[in-house]
Formats: sequence, structure tokens, C-alpha cells
Amino acid sequence: MISKWISRQHLIGMLGAVALFTAQAAFANGPIGEHVNHLSDNIDDYTQEVKWLNTEVEAMITRYQQGGVKEANPELLVENWEAVKFHSAIETNYVPVYASIWQGLFGVKGALEEQASIEEIRKQQQFLAESLWQALGAVKLAAQYQDKGLTEHVTTTVENPSNSLEALDAIDNRLNRVVAKYAEKLPKEAVTIVHDTYLNLFEGVEGELIALDANLVEDLEKDFNVTLPQAIQNGGTVDEVRQVVNTMLGKLDTAYALLEKSAEARKDVF
Amino acid sequence: MQRRRFIQSMAALAAAGALPFNLTQAFAAVSVDDLPKLKGELTLYLGRGEGGLYENVLKAIEERNPEFKLRIRRGPTASLANAILAEAKAGVKRADLFWAVDSGAIGMVTSAGLAQPLPSDLTGQLHENFQFPNWTPVTGRIRTIPFNTDRLKAEDIPDDIMALADSDFTIGWAPAYAAFQSFVTAMRILKGDVVTTDWLRGVNARAKKFAGELGVVMAVERGEVDLGLANHYYSLRLKSGKPDARVDLAFTRNDAGCLVNASGILALSEGELSVNFIRYLLSKEVQTYLAEQAYEIPLVDGVKAPEGLPNLELISPPDVDLTKLADLRPTIDLMRNVGIL
Repeated sequence: MISKWISRQHLIGMLGAVALFTAQAAFANGPIGEHVNHLSDNIDDYTQEVKWLNTEVEAMITRYQQGGVKEANPELLVENWEAVKFHSAIETNYVPVYASIWQGLFGVKGALEEQASIEEIRKQQQFLAESLWQALGAVKLAAQYQDKGLTEHVTTTVENPSNSLEALDAIDNRLNRVVAKYAEKLPKEAVTIVHDTYLNLFEGVEGELIALDANLVEDLEKDFNVTLPQAIQNGGTVDEVRQVVNTMLGKLDTAYALLEKSAEARKDVF
Repeated sequence: MQRRRFIQSMAALAAAGALPFNLTQAFAAVSVDDLPKLKGELTLYLGRGEGGLYENVLKAIEERNPEFKLRIRRGPTASLANAILAEAKAGVKRADLFWAVDSGAIGMVTSAGLAQPLPSDLTGQLHENFQFPNWTPVTGRIRTIPFNTDRLKAEDIPDDIMALADSDFTIGWAPAYAAFQSFVTAMRILKGDVVTTDWLRGVNARAKKFAGELGVVMAVERGEVDLGLANHYYSLRLKSGKPDARVDLAFTRNDAGCLVNASGILALSEGELSVNFIRYLLSKEVQTYLAEQAYEIPLVDGVKAPEGLPNLELISPPDVDLTKLADLRPTIDLMRNVGIL
């Protein structure tokens, strides 16, 4: 699964994986701890936390079956998730699966609150459990790269991109964060990220890109300003918003290849 | 509505020496081969702009000067200007140089008395109207009117920006964009707040709002609006990627509609190293690179303007002190009062 994630990114192989695990701590949902710079030392803790979270979900479903929604107290799902260190470990390393965890948490919470059938609740539980284990796998892989010195130190601030290719990487990260925010039931924040990403990052890239492929820029302009904000504001499912984002990420891959080729061909200053 | 014959009338004015603003006189650009080697370390605050092209220039300067180290802090131009002011207030100086993408931010720093004077042999390399004692423009950009060529001809566009408010055109604009706000500031300086307010109200009645000026140009090309208000390079870039794009540029005359704004650099610390670094940015090679790759307008002599622009002798921008464009607060208040922000 992780190799599938990697293959979606711009860079292939090892360098691609390193780019994937570049930290974006300034966007951490809550405080991040220094542990994210020592992933290997904390893998056992993270594993225990994932097991604990799954156990808590199972206990909640049991309480629901015995005493209903009030007894289950679905609010605890989010509280538990925000309480574990593993939260920032995955958030600072791989946002796509971080978004899936939020989707899973609200899937279970919603199913319990709406008193859905036990089959539906179990389906949502299964999705959440899979997302948590996938996330643990991603963090273990990130730990290996970190041990080899191939990832950047996680800091509380993020350097501004120094060129269009770095800007496109940052855009990828933020678009995945849009899905996470939407899955977290924060649509206004998700739309704000879309607008900020457009103004602060894509605007700096599109001038260069339009000279290479005007139609691609036109498509992405529409995606940033109409398609994605509308998908969020219309209240579709998380998967529908993710689909829009994934389509945009595909176009951004094309943009990356064009800009990379253009940079190689560009004349020297002196 | 005023009508005009675009280039022809400009040419006639130029020939008659009637242009209010001189874009054509400057000393010949210096080659990097004739510049002193840079030795030592500098910290540059670099305003965001032009993708990686400014970075390429900086990297090339470092590579050419192995004993020179440049530390760069990047960010939005206005934020960096505010950081410089805040640092000065706290008695701290972290930046030796500030390269801003618009002259308004430069004005914030120079008016606070933080910029070092520059030698006249350096500032004298620039066109006459771009010579300032304590900062230097690096490259220019012109406000233009991109128009849809299926719907309009150049002569259909008024040569007076104020006439747009009384026209029947549908107009694209990006009021939140810094370049647009500088343009409105220039209009305030030239015409006053009352006239500017009336103009904004008039245009707003038929305007369509966009987030950025590339979006404006693309909407013009699609025919979503008849014409737009944008910096020149967006149209040139679009035409480079789509040669049959249905867009061309028109220019007003001697008003804010054809304001020439500039990116600029200033030194915050004394010493030859900062000054000599600035000399590299005004070199023939760097000016040529930015004109060819970023479609920016070179401000030293002997370097060709980007392809697709009319001869600069045919442009007649207004005479506005660019550093006064820093006075953005009244502009933003005015735009809010009119309801376009």
C-alpha cells in the first residue's frame, strides 16, 4: 500500500519517498512533540497507541449495543485521537492517510449517533482500523528514512518554497490537508486552505506554467476557484472531495514534469 | 468615449517629445565581467515572486563568487517589510539587503529611514525616472488593458483610464491583488480620492472579480469579459504558451492605467559588499535573463524589452514617485467603502 502511495508522487524511488516524508509541522493539528524527530525510538509507543485506540472503539461499540448512544459516548473518539502522540507522528509525515483516519473517526461517530445498523457501524470501524494500521506502516517507513538521515528535521515553522517545483510539493501537501480538514468536519477551514494555497503557492507557479501549457493552468484555475470549493461547500462525501483532490494532484504531476523539463532547458544567467 | 489609434498616436507623441515620463534614457548596462568579485556574507530578505527565477539569479551570483555566501529569508514582500520594521524597532538588524517585488514595500522601509544611501554611479545606471538615493529598482512592469481580440480592436479601447468607468465594456479585475492596489494608489495620488472613488464605483457596476491577474487575462481570452486590468507579463506569458490566444494589450496614456511599477532592492547595512551585490542585479546579464525568462522590463540601457511589448518609447506612463505607493491603507479603506474588497 505504501509503495502505491509513493508511486503517486512526483519523484520516483528513494528521493520520492524522502519528499513524501518532508515535515509540515506548521500545520500540525495541535502541539507536536519532539518525538516526531525520533520516530524509531517511539515506534513501540505508537504501536501501543494504535492498539489502544482500536480497543477503545471496540469497547464503545459494545457499550452502544448494551446501552445505546449515550452509554457509548461517541465524543470520546475524537478526544482519544487527539490525546495520542501517534496523531502528530502521522500528521507530520503523511497527510493522505491522516485524512483517512479522520474520515474513519467521523464514520464511526456518525454511525453511532445516527443509530445505524450494527453492520454499518462495523463497516466504519473496519475502515478506521485499516487506516490506523496503514498509518502505523507509513510512520515505520518514515522512521527508516529518518534513521538514514534522509528526512528533514521537523520544526515549528516551514521554509517558504524557493522554486516552482518546491511550491508544487507544498501544494500537494496542502491539498491532502484539505481532505483531512473536510474529514474532520471543518469545511470552512478546508475552503480557507484551498484559497490560501491558491493565493500563496499556486499563483507563484502559474505564471511560469502558463507559458508551457495554458490549458493545464486554465483547468487548475477552475479546480482551485470553483470545483474544489464547491465540492466542499455542497457537502458531498469525503471520498467525493478526495476524488477532486486526486484529480488535481494528477494535473499537478503533469505540471511538475513540465516545469522540471523547462528548468533543465533554461539558459544560464551568466 | 475617447477613441484612439493605439501605437500611431503614441508614436506621434513620442516624436513630438510630449511624453511625460522618460523610459528611454539610461547609461549602458555593465557586464558582470567588469564587476568586482564579491567576498564575505550577506543576508537577503527576498520577497516572493517569479517562481524560481530570482533564485536562479542569486544562485548564479554565488556560483560566480565562490568566496561569497548569501543567506536568504523568503516570504511575502509585505511581511518581510513589516519584519524589517519590527526588527529595527527592537534594535535588531538581521537583513543586509531587501529585494521586494513591489516598490510600495520598499517605500515602507525607506520612509522609516532604514535604507542606506547608494552611490550615484550605481543609481545612475538606471533610466532617469528610476533613480532614487537609497534604493534601486531592478525590473519594471506596466499596467495594461488586455482585451479580447474577437470582440475589440486596439482603437476601441480608450486611452484614458478614467473613461473606462463610463464605457459599456465588461471588465475583469482582481481588487485583492497587490499590483491592482498599487494602481489604485497611483490613481489616488494623481486624481484624488473623490475621483478615484467615483471611478471604482463606475467600473464596479460592470466588473467581474478574480482572485489574481492571470485569472483576469484568461477570462479576457475566453471572452468572459471584454477587457481587463492587469500587469503586462500575464498576457505575454499566456501568448507564449498559447500563441493563438485571443488577447492583445492596449495602453492608456499618462495616467495610472499605464503605471510602471518596479521590483526593487535596498541595502540595510553599510559597506561595499551590499552595494556591489546590487550591481550584479543591474548587470546586462541579469537584466537580460529577467527580461527573457520572466518577461520583466529591464531598466538599464542596452537590454531588450521582453518580446511582445511595444517599443518602450511608445509608452507614456505617469510621473509617480513609486515609493509613495507604500501608502496603501487609505487605498484599502477606500476600496472597502466602495464595497469591492
